[in-house]
Order: sequence, then structure tokens, then C-alpha cells
Amino acid sequence: VSTLVALTFDWDVVREHGGELRHGLWLTLEVAGLGFVLACALGLPIAALRLSRSPLVRGFGAVWVGVLRGVPLIVVVYWLYNAAASRGWFVISEFRTGVLALGLTGSAYMAENYRAALRAVDSGQREAALAVGLSPTQSFWTVEAPQAARVVVAPSVNLLVGLLKAGTILSLIGLKDMFYVARTVAVDEFSPFELYTVAAVLIVGVTLVVAGFAALLERWLGRAHR
Amino acid sequence: VSGWVGALVAAGRGIDFGPVWDQRDNLVRGLFVDLQVAVGGLVLSIPGGLLLASLRRSGSWPLRVAGFTLVQLLRGAALYVMAVWFFYGLPAAGGPKFDPVPTGILVITLLYSGYLSEVFRAGLAAVPRGQTEAAQAVGLGRTTTFVSVTLPQTVRIVLPAMGNVFADIVKDTAILSVIGLNDLMRESLRWAQFYRPFRYFEFITVAGLVYLVLVVAVTQAGRLLERRTGDAGSASLYRRRGFLRIRGAGA
Repeated sequence: VSTLVALTFDWDVVREHGGELRHGLWLTLEVAGLGFVLACALGLPIAALRLSRSPLVRGFGAVWVGVLRGVPLIVVVYWLYNAAASRGWFVISEFRTGVLALGLTGSAYMAENYRAALRAVDSGQREAALAVGLSPTQSFWTVEAPQAARVVVAPSVNLLVGLLKAGTILSLIGLKDMFYVARTVAVDEFSPFELYTVAAVLIVGVTLVVAGFAALLERWLGRAHR
Repeated sequence: VSGWVGALVAAGRGIDFGPVWDQRDNLVRGLFVDLQVAVGGLVLSIPGGLLLASLRRSGSWPLRVAGFTLVQLLRGAALYVMAVWFFYGLPAAGGPKFDPVPTGILVITLLYSGYLSEVFRAGLAAVPRGQTEAAQAVGLGRTTTFVSVTLPQTVRIVLPAMGNVFADIVKDTAILSVIGLNDLMRESLRWAQFYRPFRYFEFITVAGLVYLVLVVAVTQAGRLLERRTGDAGSASLYRRRGFLRIRGAGA
């Protein structure tokens, strides 16, 4: 099989559609990047809800996190793209669906990252801050949050990697990413192998680069901490 | 306030879960396809993960490098991409073509062997070195030490994490609808289109709820197991690693 594959690998098809592939890869990166930004922003208030003193508010936060982590991303995508439109509630583009779906799902994970990071800050830090006369708010912003921020970086970059991989399913609703291009060409010219392979290699490459960056960052932050 | 209520009522008008109930047999059958693939994938991922973990701990460096490269590649790959590549890409180049169920199990197995190898590695590392040293001091061979001393303790450490792994696998099976797996997701979409007007809202909402219930049940079962075995380490360790967890090279 492998010799057959090597012999029949048609670089011309890849060259011919290089522009579309590049554009598709860029779309994937854009959706994942914007989704990640949304997740980071939305995760903060959710984490705040989960840390609230009122059980009702805490419960709402827990439900948000539980539901978005328990429902497959693909269901969220179809829900935003097909279900809402079929009810006539709202119609949004494939791109916005992608950003929103990744952002919503990601927000649940980010909220947990923030929460875990705040927990990781030694409680003595807060006690010391209060003892030297800082108010709880001052203690939070000037003592606890900066330390938590350092802890939250690594799992967050890991989430970005996850979103990058998960975002590949968006071609299913017609986002014109690499896999959409590959499928269209497969149908038109019956040569799916080359484009699927190139698309797969590209996405694995991008993922590994970001993941490697995350590992370096983690090591660097860990060292700075000591 | 009455404006909001009115808007909510208007938005909810015409929602009808009757069609979903009518198709319950098909949906349940789809759910069992999901479970079949998930269980098959989990069962095969365990030896796969063990194999990769032992490659990475091997004494010879070429094997270690091979293990490391494989694990990184598998953890960098997205399920959707792999499924499409194996199902549509490879056969087009003259490669073998399998049905959706075996293809799904294959892809899940490959991906989760990569994940599990990391869990196993952490589990193996968590067994105190004194255990192996003591076993060897009383005259056990290397293989016997591994099989009867290290492995049982590793299993105890790693077992509770399986609940979370299984929950992740169940969620992932929903993606396999793209290669024609007649799972809950695909059946839901298919039957949603069968009705006029389209019943996307009803079918997709129910599918999401079913996945949610399943995932929560499996996760809770894992937590129960965790409490049972009295080891809080591995499951929470796995959970903390987060969504579609991938740690970078060497992490």
C-alpha cells in the first residue's frame, strides 16, 4: 500500500488548490483564536459565579460548566447553526457559529482553569495581605490575582490547542476550511487522498507547534516561580 | 417583565417533541452504536496505551524515540481529521476501506492510546521505587516484578481516571457521524430533516441532553470508583488536564 501511495501522490492537485488550502488553514486559526479569546473573556464571570457565596448563583455557574463540558461540541455547533435557525430565533454565519460554539464550550473549561488557579494560590497569601491591612478587594487584585494569572497560562494554552483541533469539525456546517476544500475537490476531481493528507499534516503541525510552545511556557513560568 | 414573558412564549410556540418520541427506537439504536464504538475504543486503547507507555520507558533509545514521536503525533491529531482521512482519504489512494463502526473504533483507539499512554506513564511513575527495589531484593525477576508488583498498583492508581476517559470518548463518538456511523447524532439529524417543518431544535436538543446525561453518569461512576479505591490522585489529575487534553512535547 505504501509504495502505491507514494507513487500516486499527486502534488499537482495540492499545488492547484494551494491558495484555497492556505485560506482554509487561516480560517481554522482565526476561528480557534477568536473562540479562545471569547472563552477567556466569558470564563471570568463564570468563574466568579462559581465562587459566589449564594448557592443559587453558584448553582447557575455549576450548571453552565457542567452542561457545556458534558455536551459534545458538535451538538453545540448544530444547535447554534440549525436548531436556532429552524425555530426562527437567529441565523448566524458559519464563521460566527464556530467562534460562538468554541467560545461557549471553551468558557466552561476556562472558568475551571481560573478557579483552579485561584485555589492554587496559598491561602496564607491572602491572610498575610489582610494582616498587613489590605482590604479583601486589594488583596485579590494585587496579591492573589497576579499569582493565579501565572498558574492559569499553561492550561489555557492547552485549551487553545484543544479548540484548534475541535474546530476542524466546522467544515461540517460549511465553513470553508481546509477540510471543506478537500471534500469539495474530492467530489469534483475524485482525488481526496492528497488534499486530506496535506490538510491533516498541516493541522497536526500547527497543533504540535502550539503545544510545544505551551510546554516551553509552562517550564519557563515554573522556573520563574521558584 | 410581561414583555419578556411574551417574547419567551412566542419563541417557544410550535415546539413539538412528538416527532422525537415517535423516533425513539431509532435514537436508542443510535445511542447503542455510540456506546458500542466507545466501549470498543476504550477496551482497545488500554493495551495500546500500555504498549506506547512501555515503549517510552524502554531501555533502547530508538524505541523511546519512536514511542515519543507516536504519542506526540497521536495527541496532535484531531479525531475528525483522522476519521475522514481513514474513511475517505486512504481508500481513495488504494488503501483498505472498513465500515464506519470498525473505522470509528480504530480512530478512537489510536487517539486514546496516545492519551492513555500518558495516564499510564504517570501511573507507573507514581508507584514508589522502593516497591521495585524491594521486589528485586527478595529475588523476583524483572518480569515478575512488573506483572505482580508494579502493574497491580498502577491499575489501582489509573482505574478511576477511566471514568473521565470514557466520558470523553462518548462525547467524541458524536463526531463519527461524519463517516456515516449511524449513531445518535446522525439519526437525530436525519430524522430532524424528515419532518416539515424541520425539527432540528427538538432532535438536537434531545441528543444533547442524552449525551449530557450519559457523560455525567459516567463521570460520576468514575468518581465513585475513585472514592472506593481510596485514591484521589489520578482522576482529578486527568480532569485537571482539561478539554481534549494535550500537553506539549515532553510535558
